[in-house]
Amino acid sequence: MDSTATPPRRLRSFRTVRARLLFWIIAVTIPIYAAALYMSYDATARTLETGAERDVDELAARLATRVDAVIRPIEGGIRTVAYQLEEVDPPPEQYAQRIRGILLAWPDVYGSTIAVEVGNGANARPFAPYYYRHGADLAFSDLAVDSYGYRQLAWYRRAADSGLPVWSLPYFDTGGGNAWMVTYSVPFYRKLADARRAMAGVVTADLDLNWVKTTSANASLGPIGMGWLSSPSVGEPFVVPIGATAERIGKFDASMNRDAIRKIGEEMLAKKVTFRLLPRGTTAKRAYLAARNLETLGWQVMLVIPKAELLAEARELLTRQLLLGAIGLILLIAATSAVSAGIARPIRALAAAVGKAREDELDLELPETPRRDEIGVLTEALRRMGSSLREHIRLRAQSLAEQARLEHDLKIAASIQQSMLPMRAAAADMPASIQIAAALLPAKQVGGDLYDYFFIPDGGVDAGGRRDGKVFLAIGDVSDKGIPAALFMARLSALLRVMGAGGEPPDRLLAAINARLSEGNDACMFVTIGCALLDVATGRIRYASAGHEPPLVRDAKGAVRSLAAENGPAIGIEAVADYQLWEGSMAPGDALVLFTDGVTEAEAQDGSLFGLDRLIELLREAPDGHPAALVKQVVDTIGAHASGFHATDDLTVLAVRWNPHGVDLGTDVTHWHIQPEASDAGVRQTQQWLHGVLAAREVVPDRIADAELIAEELLTNIVKAARIESRRVGLSVDCVLMPAEIVLTVRDDGPGFDPLAHPSPNLDADIADRPIGGLGIPLVKQIASDLSYARVDGWNVLEIRLGRSPDSN
Amino acid sequence: MTLKIVTEGSNPTTIKLDGRLDTHTAPDLDKALDGVLARPGLSRLVFDLSRLEYLSSAGIRCFVRARKAIEPKGGKVAIVNPQPGVRKVLEIVKAIPGGIFASIEELDAYLDEMQRKVRDPD
Repeated sequence: MDSTATPPRRLRSFRTVRARLLFWIIAVTIPIYAAALYMSYDATARTLETGAERDVDELAARLATRVDAVIRPIEGGIRTVAYQLEEVDPPPEQYAQRIRGILLAWPDVYGSTIAVEVGNGANARPFAPYYYRHGADLAFSDLAVDSYGYRQLAWYRRAADSGLPVWSLPYFDTGGGNAWMVTYSVPFYRKLADARRAMAGVVTADLDLNWVKTTSANASLGPIGMGWLSSPSVGEPFVVPIGATAERIGKFDASMNRDAIRKIGEEMLAKKVTFRLLPRGTTAKRAYLAARNLETLGWQVMLVIPKAELLAEARELLTRQLLLGAIGLILLIAATSAVSAGIARPIRALAAAVGKAREDELDLELPETPRRDEIGVLTEALRRMGSSLREHIRLRAQSLAEQARLEHDLKIAASIQQSMLPMRAAAADMPASIQIAAALLPAKQVGGDLYDYFFIPDGGVDAGGRRDGKVFLAIGDVSDKGIPAALFMARLSALLRVMGAGGEPPDRLLAAINARLSEGNDACMFVTIGCALLDVATGRIRYASAGHEPPLVRDAKGAVRSLAAENGPAIGIEAVADYQLWEGSMAPGDALVLFTDGVTEAEAQDGSLFGLDRLIELLREAPDGHPAALVKQVVDTIGAHASGFHATDDLTVLAVRWNPHGVDLGTDVTHWHIQPEASDAGVRQTQQWLHGVLAAREVVPDRIADAELIAEELLTNIVKAARIESRRVGLSVDCVLMPAEIVLTVRDDGPGFDPLAHPSPNLDADIADRPIGGLGIPLVKQIASDLSYARVDGWNVLEIRLGRSPDSN
Repeated sequence: MTLKIVTEGSNPTTIKLDGRLDTHTAPDLDKALDGVLARPGLSRLVFDLSRLEYLSSAGIRCFVRARKAIEPKGGKVAIVNPQPGVRKVLEIVKAIPGGIFASIEELDAYLDEMQRKVRDPD
C-alpha cells in the first residue's frame, strides 16, 4: 500500500456498533427485568403471608371451637345449678347431693363446692362442702374452716362482688390435683319477702386443664409453623404447644425464648396487630409471629412461622424466573450480536475500500451485491462520490497546470514591470545635491503603481563643475490592480519618459499625457499622478497633480508639512483637462515625499486605516532625513506585520532631498550656513539659496528680495575688493530665521574693513557731481533694521537684521 | 536669473527690462547703454521697469550712468512703472529724483509740460 493511503482506523472494541448496542440493551433490560422479578417475588410473598394469616385464623377458630365445646356446657351447667339454688333454695343439707351431681355430670370438673354467704338472714355461719375426685371415687373436704376463710378468697369474692359468673386465671393446684386448674364461680341469690334479692353464696367448679393439652396437641398446625395456646396470667402462665410444635422447634431453634416471643405477641394484640416479622435476634432464623385472641377465657394463640419455610415457594418461583430471564438475556445478546455484526461488517468493508483509495487511483472496490437497506444506499452514494471525485481531481489538475503557466507569465510580467522603474544608475546619475530613494511594493505580482525620476541637464555647469538642471519626479496610481493596471501603467510610464524628458512644466505635461491616454480609453482606466520638477540650482519646485494625494515636505529637523497644491482631474477621464501649476521652494535639507494611497490606506487588523496623520507622524519621528531612511521607515512600518498594519493595495513611496553643495544646516533647523566661492558665481549661488531657504519658509517675496539685495551688495563689494587687490578671500553667509527677524551674518577674512564707518556719498548732489557707484552700502543701511560690525579673529563680521513681515521696517 | 533688454524708439528711446537687474546682469545693460547713449541727439531716455523683478545697486549704477550722460546736456532720464520693491530701492538711493512715473501716460503728460515750459519760459 502506498504511504499516502491511510489504513482504516482500528476501532476500540467498546466503540463498535455491536458493543454499544449490547451495552445499552443490557443496561436497559436488566433493571427492568430486576424490577419485574422483584415485584413478582414481592407479590408472591404477600400472597403467601396472607395465606399464612388465613391459616392462623382457621387454627384459632378450630381451637376456640374445641375449647368452647368443653367450656360452654360446664358454664351452662354451673349457672343452672346456681339458678336452681336461687329458685328452689334447698336447705344446705341437699348441697352435697347437688355438688356430686355436678362432678358426675362433667368428668372434666375436678372439684366443686357451694359456699354460702353469712348473714342476710339465712345462714348464721360459713358453710362450704367441697367434693373432688380421688381416683375413681369422690372425696369430701370442708372449706368452712376458720383457717381457710373462703369468703375472703379470690374465687369467692370476684363472683360475689361483681354478681356475675367469672372464670379465674389458670393456676397450678399443688394441694389436691397437682394439675393446672381453672375455676368457674357463679353467685346465687335468695329472694327476700320484699321481692329484693340477697347474695346467698357462690357455686364453683374447678376444671382440670389436662384436656386442653390434649386438644391443643391434637390440633393440626398445617405444613409449617410452631404454635402455643396460652392464658393471661399474673404469675406463671398456662402454656400448651399446638400440634407438632415440639418436634418442629427442635429443628428450627431449640433455644428459642418463648416467653419473650409471647410478650411480643401480647404487645401485638394490645396494639391489634396480628401478623408481623419478629425482630432480628429474637430467633436464630427470621420468622413471622401470628397472634390471635380466643374469646373463651381470654386465651391467646401464638404461631411462629419461619420465614424461609413460608416463602420457600416464592423463592422457588424466583429461581425459576431468574433462570428463564438469564436464558432470555443470552438469546437477546446473541441475536443483537448477530444483527449488529451484520450491520458492521459491510460498513467495515466499505471503510476498507474507501481507505485504499488514493488521489491518483480513485477506483473504489465497492461490493457489488445489491443490498436494499441503508448499507446499499451508502454503497451507491460512495460509488457516485468516487466518480465525481475523479472528475473533480481531473479538473483540479488541469486548473493547477493552467495556474502554474499563468504564474510563470506573471513573474515575467512583474520583472518587466520592475525594469520600467528607474534603475540604481538613475539615482547615481543625479547631481550631488540630489538624494533620491523610492520603493514600490505591488499587492499582486504586477501592480498599478508607478514612479519615475530622471535628471534633465540644461547644459549649464556651475563654477564648481557641477551640472545644472532639473530633476523630474512622478508618482502614479492606476485605478485597479493586476494585469490591466500593469498594462495601462506601462503605457503611462513610456509617455512620462518621452514627454517629460524635455523639461516641460508639470501642468502642461499632465495635460498632454491626459490627451493621449484619454483617447480611446474604452476600458475607462484612469490614473492619478503627482508630477514635480525640482530645480537643482535653486531648490525651486514646480508641481502639478492629477487627482493625486498632495506630497509632504519634511525639513531637516523633522517638521512635516503638506504641499498645498491644487488638484486636477485624474488622467484618462476627461478628454481635455487643465492642471494648476504649484510653485514653491525647498530649503537645503528639505525632503519631498511623494506616495500613493497604498500607504495611507494600509489597514490595521481592526480595519482602521494607516492614514495621513500616522504617515506625517512616522516621517517626523524618522531619525534621519535621508530619503533612503524615510522610504525604509515607511516600507518597514507598513510592510512589517509587527506594526499591525498591512498594505492592501500597491504601495509606493518616493522621496527626494535637496542638499546643495556649500550649504550646511546649522545647529538649529532655522539656521543655514552657506560658504560660497569668492566669485560672481558664488554671489549668484548665495542669492539663489537664500531665495530658496526664505521662499521655502514662506517669507514674503519683498523680504526675500531685500535679503538677496543685502547679500549681493555686501558679497559683491568683498569679491571686487579681493579681485582688485589680487588676493584670495574666505567667505561665508549665515541665515537664521527668527520668529520676527531674518538675521544674516556675512564673514570675510580680508583686511579689516568696517563698511558702516565710511560716510555715505552725498545722494542729494547734482547728478554731474555724483559718483556712479558706492550706492550698495547706503542701500543696505536703509533696508536693514539693524547692522553691526565686529572684527573677530581676523574676520570681518557683519550682522544684518531684517524684519520678517512686509511692513516691519 | 536673467535680464531681457528691449530697446524701442529713438527719441525718446525706451528700454524695457524684464527679469533681474543685479551685479550679474548689469554688464549686459551697460553694453546696451553703450550703443544707446552713443546715438546723437538723444535727449530723452525712458526705462520701462514694469517687468523688472529685482534691482540692486549694480543696476542703479546703470541708471546713474545714463543720467550723467544725458542730463548735463539738458536731456531727461525717466523710469516708468517700477514694481514696489524696485521703486523702494530707487528711492532709497535717490537714483533718479523726480524721474519716476507710474505710467507712460504720466510720463507723457510730464514731458509735454516740459516742452511747453521750454517753448514758453514763464
